[in-house]
This record gives sequence, structure tokens and C-alpha cells, in this order.
Amino acid sequence: MDKAYFIAKKELMTYFKSPIAYITLVLSISIFNAFFFLIIDQNREVSLRDVFHVMEFMFLFLVPILTMRLFSEEKANGTMEFLMTAPVTNIAIVLGKYLGALVFFSILLSLTLIYFVIIELFGSPDRLTIVSGYIGVWLEGAFFIAVGMMTSSWTSNQIVAAMASYVILFLLYFLVNFTQYFSGAAENIIQYMSTLTHLEHFIIGVITAGDLAYYLSGIFICIIFTYLSIENRLFK
Amino acid sequence: MIITKNISKNFGPLQALSDVSFEINKGEIVGFLGLNGAGKTTLMRILTSFLPASSGTVLIDGDDVAKHSLVTRQKIGYLPETPPLYLNMTVKDYLKFAAEIKGIPAKKRQRQYDNVMAECQLEHMASKIIGTLSKGYKQRVGIAQAIIHEPKLLILDEPTSGLDPIQNRQVRNLIKNLKDQRTVIISTHILSEIEHIAQRVLMIKAGEIIIDESLNSLIRSHNLDEPHNKKSDDKSGKGCDERSSQNKKMNLEDIFILHHSNQKSDQKNNQASDNIDSTLVNHHG
Repeated sequence: MDKAYFIAKKELMTYFKSPIAYITLVLSISIFNAFFFLIIDQNREVSLRDVFHVMEFMFLFLVPILTMRLFSEEKANGTMEFLMTAPVTNIAIVLGKYLGALVFFSILLSLTLIYFVIIELFGSPDRLTIVSGYIGVWLEGAFFIAVGMMTSSWTSNQIVAAMASYVILFLLYFLVNFTQYFSGAAENIIQYMSTLTHLEHFIIGVITAGDLAYYLSGIFICIIFTYLSIENRLFK
Repeated sequence: MIITKNISKNFGPLQALSDVSFEINKGEIVGFLGLNGAGKTTLMRILTSFLPASSGTVLIDGDDVAKHSLVTRQKIGYLPETPPLYLNMTVKDYLKFAAEIKGIPAKKRQRQYDNVMAECQLEHMASKIIGTLSKGYKQRVGIAQAIIHEPKLLILDEPTSGLDPIQNRQVRNLIKNLKDQRTVIISTHILSEIEHIAQRVLMIKAGEIIIDESLNSLIRSHNLDEPHNKKSDDKSGKGCDERSSQNKKMNLEDIFILHHSNQKSDQKNNQASDNIDSTLVNHHG
């Protein structure tokens, strides 16, 4: 697995050598800062609940921009041939790329920890709820990255990869709004599939095995599908 | 070093390779020749385990590339037709990454890196972004990544394609220096390159090997082949007279054109010799 580490390191380096990384960081932190100020100013409560909702919504847009190049760029530039003829397993390639994107996302999220410090200075927030909220947002981001990486492995066109991510992520995000048209088991399944339902629990400080299983299994399934997509490249 | 047995490759209904078998011994320098779409790149991709064969087996140093691909990949250095470069990385970062994923132990990495930088004359380019390099230098970086782990087998797909004459000569000299240490397979359209570098020729036509012979015996046998020469002399007209007066011996390019013109002659029975001759006339004209 040291090869996965080398690939992750290279991915992270690639992020910081491209303008997309800095644009993403500056744009998202600026938006989060603006909403943090507005929410605290209007709600007058020492909680990050609404800030987490904003983050979740923003990550729907930002994560596909971060992940669209993961495999598409390699395919378009011919470097996929370099990776796949080197003595590296396909699973190490997939995990390395996933870890690289996840570390970048974690750096981005960690920059918002300043909000925790600020509300700590001006009030007595429920620390465990905030920690649980951060875990939820991080898991959701990790899931979004896995979806983005999977769509990136399907095509050599970065725009197509990003669009495919948007379709899947928006579907998962807004799915909960369709529960009113269903009943019984179908309603429960749709509710369980929606990302909103699960993050809501983390934001109010409740961590359940079901919610953890949702994110972890989602990540696992996307990684497996990415692996299969790489394995079955061209006409096998 | 390499044994291929009855390799076939289908892309849907298209058969790219058909029943290809050959053996390459350790230390041999073999040139793959063929027209675009003949199957050279597909064959190279199968040897490097980038593509699986539809049927047949490839053994590299006794290991099956389909079953032990990680072992065989460790023994191969591969330069695809388009050098596989990360254009936003520096030469140094890229080659260090190549050294890491090719499994060079940490203690040896710096030494190997220094060696390939010297061998490919890239020392003064170490901190340059690859995307800013000329095509010739990009090609050298591509060769450097292929040899950084000291592979026993080097596979080069069109290593001088698109280079200007100076860059071409530089890359050719680099390959000449590399060949002393390893088995090399090289595919190129520049046939004079094969004449300079290779000892043996594998000519591929429509996915099949039509010639597998040492370069010397290939040229000798074609120059001893009286009917061909006679045909050319008899029917070629003015252009071929020029050829005859300049150089009566067929070189590799003539042989290549002769074998690929035969396709036309099969289709147009009576115009066979005219076709060959006119091709040669065009070539020499």
C-alpha cells in the first residue's frame, strides 16, 4: 500500500500546483465566512448547525470540480498508460487517488475550524454537537469525493465527469423531497438513500450506526465501481 | 526473454492481432515495423500488460503477463507513443514519482534518479515544468521514466515520432547507448532508425507477422532475390533507372514498401510489378 501513499502524495501536490485548488479554497472559505457571519448575526446562537447546512450544499457544487480530473485527466493525457504499466495494483491507484482528494478536502474543511474557536470565545457552545456535525460533514464530503472519482473513471472528458457527478449528487441530495409521493417500504428506502436525512442526525449531535453505515457503504461501493471501471478499460 | 504464443486481440468485431507468435532472446534489439493500424501498438500494450490478449500467452522471463503482471511490469520499461508525462510537474518531481511507484527502494532512489538524469542529459532541466519543455526534451523525460528502475526489457513505441532532425538524432543516440544493457523492442516509421539500431525485424501487416528475420539476412535475401530486382529493372521506367544507377541494393525501406505494396498487387493481379515499381520510383524520386 506504499504505492497508494505515493499516488496520494502526487495527487495532493497536483492540487496545489493548479489554480483550481486555490480558487476552490478561496471561493469556498469566502462563502463560508460570509454565511457564518450572517447566520451568527441573525440567529444569535452559539451553534454551527446552519453553517453545516451551507457547507453541505456548497460541497455539492465544489466536490465535482475537485474530483473531475482524477481519472479523466490521466486518460486524456495518456498518463493512465504510465500508471497501469507500472508495477502498481489497480486498487492502489484507486485508493491513492481517493486519499489524495480526501486529504485536500480535509484541509479545506479544517480551515473552517476557526468558526468553532470564534463561537467558543463568545459563548458556550455544545462542543459534542459541533464535533458530531464536523464528522457528518467530513463523511458526506468523503462520500461525494468517492462519487466524483467514480464518474471521473468513466470518461476522458472532465466536463462530462463533473456533470455526471452533479446528476448523482443532486439526485441523492433532493431525493428526500420525493418521499411524499411514496409510502411504506419505498418511502423508507428513498429516505435512507437521501444524504440530507443522514447529515441532519450528525448536525443535531446524534451518531447512529445506520448513518455511519450509509456513508461508509456509499464510499465503499463507489470505490469498488471505480476499480471495476479501471479494470474493464477499453475492450477487455 | 519474451515468448509469445498465438496472441490474438479483438476489439469488438475488429481483429487487431491474429495468432502472433515469436521469441525474443535476452539482449536482442528488435524493430517492430508496420503501417499505421497494423497492430504494433496493440502488441506492445499486450506485452506491457496494459491490454489483455483475447487469446494466447505472453511469457516474460518465464512469467505469464496475464497471471503475474506485477512481476513482469517490474521488468519492463515502457515509452508509449505519446510520452506519459504530467505536464504541470517538474522533471525532478515526475522522475521521483516514477521511481517511487516503480518500486525502487528508498535508499536507491536518489542514485537511480541521478543516473537517469545524467544518462538522458536532463540535469539542467530538473526544475523545469514538463509542460514548458520542447518535444525532444519531453521525449527524453519519457525515456528516463522508462529506464529509471533499470528494466531488463525496454519497449519504445515511436520514440522519435514528430521530432525535428536534431532532436531525432539526440534521441536516437540516447537509445543507442541504452541498447547495450538490455533487450529492446522499438517500433518506428523511420526505417533508417531500425537499420541503425535493430538487429532483427518483425514486420506486422494487418495483425499478422509477415517477416521475422535478422536485419542482415533480410536485406541479403531480398538483394539475392533476382526476380524482384529484374522486375524492377524491366518495368520501372525512368524512375527505377535512376534507382538502379544510384544504388542497386534494396534497403529496409524498399523491402518494407515492397511487402506492403503486395497487398495491392494481390488485388490487382496484372498490375503487380507496376505498383511495386511506381512505389519505388516515388520513394526514390
